[in-house]
Amino acid sequence: MTKRLLGYIALSIAAILLQKFLDNYASVDSISPQLIILVAVYLSLREGQLFGMGSGFLIGFLNDLLVTHFIGYSSLMGVIAGFVAGFFFKESDVELAAKNFNFAWISAITLAVTQLAALPIIASGELNYFYVFLKFTVGTTVYTTVFAMIVVFVNGRKSRYV
Amino acid sequence: MYKWLAEFFGLAKNYIIFALLISLSLFLISTNNNSHTRGLQVVGLVTTSYLEAGVNGVLAYFSLPSEVKKLQLENARLIDRIARIRGAMEENRQLREMLNLRQQSSYPLVPGDVVGRSAEGGRYFITLDIGERNGVGVGDPVVSGTGLVGIVSAVSEDFSLVRTLLDVDSRVAAKFVNTSADGLVVSGSFGELAMKNVSRRYPVQPGDIVETSSLSTLVPPGIPIGMVTEAKNEPGDIFKKIDIQPAVDYTAITTAFVMKYSRPAEAVALEKEQLKKTR
Repeated sequence: MTKRLLGYIALSIAAILLQKFLDNYASVDSISPQLIILVAVYLSLREGQLFGMGSGFLIGFLNDLLVTHFIGYSSLMGVIAGFVAGFFFKESDVELAAKNFNFAWISAITLAVTQLAALPIIASGELNYFYVFLKFTVGTTVYTTVFAMIVVFVNGRKSRYV
Repeated sequence: MYKWLAEFFGLAKNYIIFALLISLSLFLISTNNNSHTRGLQVVGLVTTSYLEAGVNGVLAYFSLPSEVKKLQLENARLIDRIARIRGAMEENRQLREMLNLRQQSSYPLVPGDVVGRSAEGGRYFITLDIGERNGVGVGDPVVSGTGLVGIVSAVSEDFSLVRTLLDVDSRVAAKFVNTSADGLVVSGSFGELAMKNVSRRYPVQPGDIVETSSLSTLVPPGIPIGMVTEAKNEPGDIFKKIDIQPAVDYTAITTAFVMKYSRPAEAVALEKEQLKKTR
């Protein structure tokens, strides 16, 4: 378990650093893939809802501190992602859930829910809900799901050679 | 009772913890403008900015040849512009002398490179590689060659975090160049800005230039903010609905200048005195 936990910590730190890089160099009209949500989904599918929520909160907090500078926002997204993805957790079917294309569509559903939950926070000021929905909810969900597909594809290729 | 509670917690623990974590996150969000949270932001800023500056340095090395070509072209354009500006400056000096106007004050500028950007949850920040060591302070305005970028919201020794005008919490007092109408520039939809509190009676047209107003306590007047793209009167609203195309491209900006601006001490003292009297 300790070894697995260390692996998860390493994965989370790598995701946060990569997130910073993607925000700077891979964002399209200020939309970038939300790797933190993908990590929270992955951990929730591997370890269950409670672990997913807790780790989602901690990783999100660290992401807020180092990447977004908007303390609390990614934590909220992480908790919701862990909670939603936790409903797809099946102890007997962990590898299947985390490695094949189930991961991509579970991530897409989770992303849509988290981005919808973020609507009232983002749509403050003069921003209208339609614009925020179109740009942040749809944009982020699609862009991040593409990344989830890449993760699944890379994982699938790796496991074929093992 | 204890057994019942334990049973209840066993059944609903995921939901209880979910509610607790959500509440904690919302509490953290609500404290974002507190000084304690700002301290946390500075800690995060220091931790990642060195890494970003390093990555930027490596990337800049590979893009040097194309950058040199671009700068040579820019240099040729600037030489031509300087020649024309010299003539205009001389003409301006003569006209000011004729009108007996006071010389406009200029403020010291501290140049910095953009080493990071973040746009999450409607919050648009950029990170500059200049900080307290260079004389940058919280509340200092940041400008680029084309206009106002934003206001410094947190600062460490070597880096500063700038809240751009696109950020949902950004508010800047502004006015139109060709009318006397004042208003408040806030973030708008589709990458634009919006101007609030402008009365319907002012004739605002697409193409009108918006700049910072002398009513602002943080930013000097006359800095370009953008251009009006749409101005309309909504039924039942006493204010106009105005969309502004920002003068600065926040996604492409690579260099910015922190302006060392402070309002005239006499005006500040007078306002304080008046506030005391009214209390």
